[in-house]
Amino acid sequence: MSLNIYGQQLNSRLLIGSALYPSPQIMKQAILASGSQVITLSLKRQNPNEQSGQQIWQYLQDVVKYVNGFLLPNTAGCKTAKEAITLAKMSREIFQTNWLKLEVIGDDYNLQPDPIELLNAAEQLINDGFNILPYCTDDLVLCQRLYDLGCQVIMPWASPIGTGKGLMNPYNLETIRLRLPQATLILDAGIGKPSDACLAMEMGYDGVLLNSAVALADNPVLMAKAFNQAIQAGEQGYVAGIMEQRQTAHPSTPTLDMPFWHQN
Amino acid sequence: MNIHINGKVYSLPHEVNITVSAALTLHFIEPQQSTFAVALNGDFVGKTNYDTTIVSNGDSIDVLQPIQGG
Repeated sequence: MSLNIYGQQLNSRLLIGSALYPSPQIMKQAILASGSQVITLSLKRQNPNEQSGQQIWQYLQDVVKYVNGFLLPNTAGCKTAKEAITLAKMSREIFQTNWLKLEVIGDDYNLQPDPIELLNAAEQLINDGFNILPYCTDDLVLCQRLYDLGCQVIMPWASPIGTGKGLMNPYNLETIRLRLPQATLILDAGIGKPSDACLAMEMGYDGVLLNSAVALADNPVLMAKAFNQAIQAGEQGYVAGIMEQRQTAHPSTPTLDMPFWHQN
Repeated sequence: MNIHINGKVYSLPHEVNITVSAALTLHFIEPQQSTFAVALNGDFVGKTNYDTTIVSNGDSIDVLQPIQGG
């Protein structure tokens, strides 16, 4: 079943990063294996003596074209709304997209988003025509405020970026899903294992965004395939309707007319 | 005058303001061969404004290019 991001129908519910892979070739193979059609990237200072930057950009464009996909620029490294807004406008000019993974970091130690600067930036960027995908903490009220501003997509973290710790606060994440039934919820950051992604999808999340879990695996291509399958399994499980947990055991095998030992 | 491009100081012989377009020729050999965007003192400058935006003594230009990201 497809994922809708600001009116764009996507075949995959996995959004994938382009950083940290052992090589550009492995990055390309991993992205293909993931099935993802949304690839995140960023901006850095240009070095006129370095040709590799232009080559990487050309390579990324080829990959995105090959998977019939979309670029999702981020504002990694920004600490204020002003910085994020400037970077957003630079990204829009280069990448020719209104989509933006909005990151405004408030703490260097765990790369936790600054909710106040994030809201401020989101409001101004929405007014400027951007389609914002905000990276935020698993705070229900913050997610609600972002949604009220006009963010159709909200991306709470599972745990801090790059930790691979998985879903730190499942209750918070389930509550956000329950309270914002109309929002497109994508779990972003901290995913470590395919089962983490599967769990999010079983909660009813619409998608998962990850990078390190695939790029830092011993075999990134195989891990990308594993996440692809885990996300599909989790989503299908959610749609199928998961049974209620019960306090006591119930036999699966019918007990009527059981042989031998219960016949007296 | 001095201007900063991506943290590097460029000293110009005269106290004459120049445009962003002119400043970029200090940084690039062939700007048209690169994919980049520009900010002047932390504010975005669109390509259509390179020829009309003035860079003054002490100003700071950031020239950014695409890179992998998560």
